[in-house]
Amino acid sequence: MHGLLLTAPLLASIAGGILVYLLRGHSQRLLRVLVGAIVALTSALTALLLIVHPNRPLTIFAFTDRLVLQLRLDGLGGLFAGLVACLWPLTTLYAFRYLAKDERQNTYFAFFTMTFGVVLGIALASNMLTLYVFYELLTLATLPLVLHPMTKAAIRAGRKYLCYSLGGSAFAFIGLVFLTVYADNTGFVSGGVAFSDGVSSSLMLLIYILAFCGFGVKAALFPFHGWLPTASIAPTPTTALLHAVAVVKAGAFAIIRLTYYSFGTARLRGTWAQAAVLGLAAITILFGGVMALRQSHLKRRLAYSTVSNLSYILLGAALMSPEGLTAGLLHLVTHSLIKIGAFFCVGNIQQETGASYVFEINGFAKKLPVTFACFTVCALGLIGLPPLSGFFSKWALLRAALGEASPLAVAGAVALIVSAVLTAVYMLIVVVRAYAFPPQENGPAQNPLLRTAKAANAAMVIPVVLSAAATTAMAAFIDPLYDVLSRIAAGLL
Amino acid sequence: MRMNWLLPTAMLLPALMGGLLLVWKPRRRMTRLVMVGVTLAVTLLTVVWTAALPVLSVSLGPSSSAFPSFLLKTDEVARLFSVLTGFLWLFGGLYAFFYFKDDPLENRFFGVYLLVLGALIGLDFAGNLFTFYLFFEVVTLLSFPLVLHTGTPEARTAALKYLFYSLSGGFLALLGIAFLSLYLPSLTFTPGGVLSALSFSRRKELFEALIFVCLLGFSVKAGLFPLHNWLPTAHAAAPAPASAVLSGVLAKAGVLGILRVVYFVVGPDVLAGSWVQTVFLWLTLATIVIGSMMAYQEKILKKRLAYSTVSQLSYSLFGLFLLTPGGLEGGLFHVVVHALSKSALFFAAGVFVTVTGKATVDDLRGIGCRQPMTLIGYTLASLCLIGLPLTGGFVSKWQLATASLAAPLGGWSLAGPVVLLLSALLTAGYLLPPVVDGFFPGRDTPVFPRPAALPILSAVVLSLGILAVGLGLFPSVLTSFLSGWIGSLF
Repeated sequence: MHGLLLTAPLLASIAGGILVYLLRGHSQRLLRVLVGAIVALTSALTALLLIVHPNRPLTIFAFTDRLVLQLRLDGLGGLFAGLVACLWPLTTLYAFRYLAKDERQNTYFAFFTMTFGVVLGIALASNMLTLYVFYELLTLATLPLVLHPMTKAAIRAGRKYLCYSLGGSAFAFIGLVFLTVYADNTGFVSGGVAFSDGVSSSLMLLIYILAFCGFGVKAALFPFHGWLPTASIAPTPTTALLHAVAVVKAGAFAIIRLTYYSFGTARLRGTWAQAAVLGLAAITILFGGVMALRQSHLKRRLAYSTVSNLSYILLGAALMSPEGLTAGLLHLVTHSLIKIGAFFCVGNIQQETGASYVFEINGFAKKLPVTFACFTVCALGLIGLPPLSGFFSKWALLRAALGEASPLAVAGAVALIVSAVLTAVYMLIVVVRAYAFPPQENGPAQNPLLRTAKAANAAMVIPVVLSAAATTAMAAFIDPLYDVLSRIAAGLL
Repeated sequence: MRMNWLLPTAMLLPALMGGLLLVWKPRRRMTRLVMVGVTLAVTLLTVVWTAALPVLSVSLGPSSSAFPSFLLKTDEVARLFSVLTGFLWLFGGLYAFFYFKDDPLENRFFGVYLLVLGALIGLDFAGNLFTFYLFFEVVTLLSFPLVLHTGTPEARTAALKYLFYSLSGGFLALLGIAFLSLYLPSLTFTPGGVLSALSFSRRKELFEALIFVCLLGFSVKAGLFPLHNWLPTAHAAAPAPASAVLSGVLAKAGVLGILRVVYFVVGPDVLAGSWVQTVFLWLTLATIVIGSMMAYQEKILKKRLAYSTVSQLSYSLFGLFLLTPGGLEGGLFHVVVHALSKSALFFAAGVFVTVTGKATVDDLRGIGCRQPMTLIGYTLASLCLIGLPLTGGFVSKWQLATASLAAPLGGWSLAGPVVLLLSALLTAGYLLPPVVDGFFPGRDTPVFPRPAALPILSAVVLSLGILAVGLGLFPSVLTSFLSGWIGSLF
């Protein structure tokens, strides 16, 4: 029974995706219905899984007695799976409308659906091998999504994405091998696994750093972040997924598994390895913010913002304390909602007005009032204005960082504040330009294909409004949410 | 019966009416006048009523220890600031209605004007540091359109500068607030502070550094050197009624923040004698002088008044950082004096600019012939800020000087009165020329092309000027209120 529950969502989406691919020659309407049904079914099955919450693992395949592909639901995995299952249908709805005129959308949706299942596989993986397998599959499943436009830029972006990801996986593989050889238990255990005696601690720390950086590629850690801004030229549903939900959060998720469930924080706290990863996270936070300021392309600006915000999560995780992990997880949730909303808004702007650059959107708030209103909410949430959701995760991160004795942690807190200032500048400039600046002379406003705001399709507006609403309303649920997250962090769930 | 509902009402009434104005956009001016006027009057009445009642409080939000809760509470400080805010906002609204004769964006102005009032009252009533921070940032965001109002490129630059400086100040404050929340039993404002010397002694250097950062963040809003750069451009770019309330009331948000942190969260005994106090005393004295000097050499009238605000706010900050009852009383007295005087000055400046069509001080020759009442009001307010005896400004300056001499600061004690005197001379130097030139233009009387301003505008200026001077003649009205509770903070 538990096996069925665990595999059903994965089967539904992966097999469903393959089915869509095989049927790609058929009518687009038919396949859209099919895709919608598959995604809805998968989300429903995930919800069912979370409600029933079976505790026993399911071995899918055993290579040897120590190397097994196994799925299991625990608190952390359930959190990630639940988040993904909420956001995928939203993105699907948006993608239907966004790609409505795209000829090869069937292929796109096939891989889109498959990616859903692969991400769920990452969430439900019960040991590092399974995680690694699905991690590699994630690269392969998302690559066609990046390549989709088949322009020179897209192919270059896809190639970069592939090289970076495979490189990162190679280093993560080293960590996997180390764990398999030296750890008593290859599965994920809250608090970390025991290692056999005689393992040199400096070797262990070195391997940890390598694996951290390996997984850090997908989590856009500096200096391995380069693929993310380049890939932001992909269609908006891809970037929304990549940047808000699937790929980058999978990277952060893997790092959390590595730190808290494999190596264990007791072993890592206070070591030079922790100092190194704290430093990298803090650097990335600042780097992302500064680079975002310099981008005039809206999506690239948001991409660098993601680079910065992902490292908020990594900073929380690198603090190696329950408060740090809880704060990081809270930011994982809040940032996903905010960033997906922001990307959807930018996608709307691009579709409706043809504007892609910051300087082109002067005065556009009148044309797209709902979109820009929601973008303002997302911007303020990203900056961390109370009582929006972003404030609570920032507050938790600040407290967790300032509560540590090490000066690096305090430096991390300072980096968060500097980043908030940078975020305010690069996000609010967009808002102010849209509302307060007079429209440009020769810009997209002269585009005869420009439609008025009322023509903005509901399918592209509803996800935007929902994201903004969730950002605003989260304050009402912040206590129970934080409670759940701190129980996960304490290993109780 | 507990009248706690008064607190959210005082805050939400102007906010909702402001929002209504922005969404509904009534076409007839009379409708707008009635809506705005009634809202302002009712809000003022509400805060006065609240001030007359014993302590009220409203709280909602997370009850966990991880996140602070939202709390509104009236104490003496809240009463003082909220009544001052409501009072000046009423004057400002009255002035604005007759100032914007045919401005198409008038509706947006009033909508935002009311929204900011709601947020400011929330700020004044904030009962803990988190609620204060929330409203601090909200006030910044909502007042941004006030600065931006005219929409010229200069206004846009000034507004963006204001926005980013103020938000950054807020974030600096947040760093300190988050740290304090870890070591304090609660962030609720308690007279005298809740910090015990024991709780922070383990991490004293970090603690002092973060308190400094927190206070620095709030002092950005109060225009402390070297973070004052946003103030002259922002207050000059805004339309006159907005400048008046920005200088008169909004800038006080920074002073209030410092007051709350030093006297109601941390406690003056904790900071007394520390490097934090020393650095801030340096900075406030420097700001007083630099602000006055910049005002002296500035030719554009509104920018001159804005630099004057930079200088005058640091009088209050200086008093606050003396960390003695006398200093605090002087500082708070000056908050009221400056609010009244500076509003009068900006209102007068608005009249002058409209009548002459020009912006600089040199163009004010002979204005006294056209606008005598306004210039008299301007003169009264100027004398008050200079600190002439029998004006409100003299009372506050005297208090500050004596507090400085009495404070246990060693050599510093003398610096205070010296700087205050120097600044008084400079203030006379930059505020009085328009008076002299205005009433005694010399041989050739200039012709002013524009018609005279409406008498109601002059009446506003004159009444505020009289009030400012009146505080000097009857200071006990305020001082008895202040000394009643200031002692409990030490």
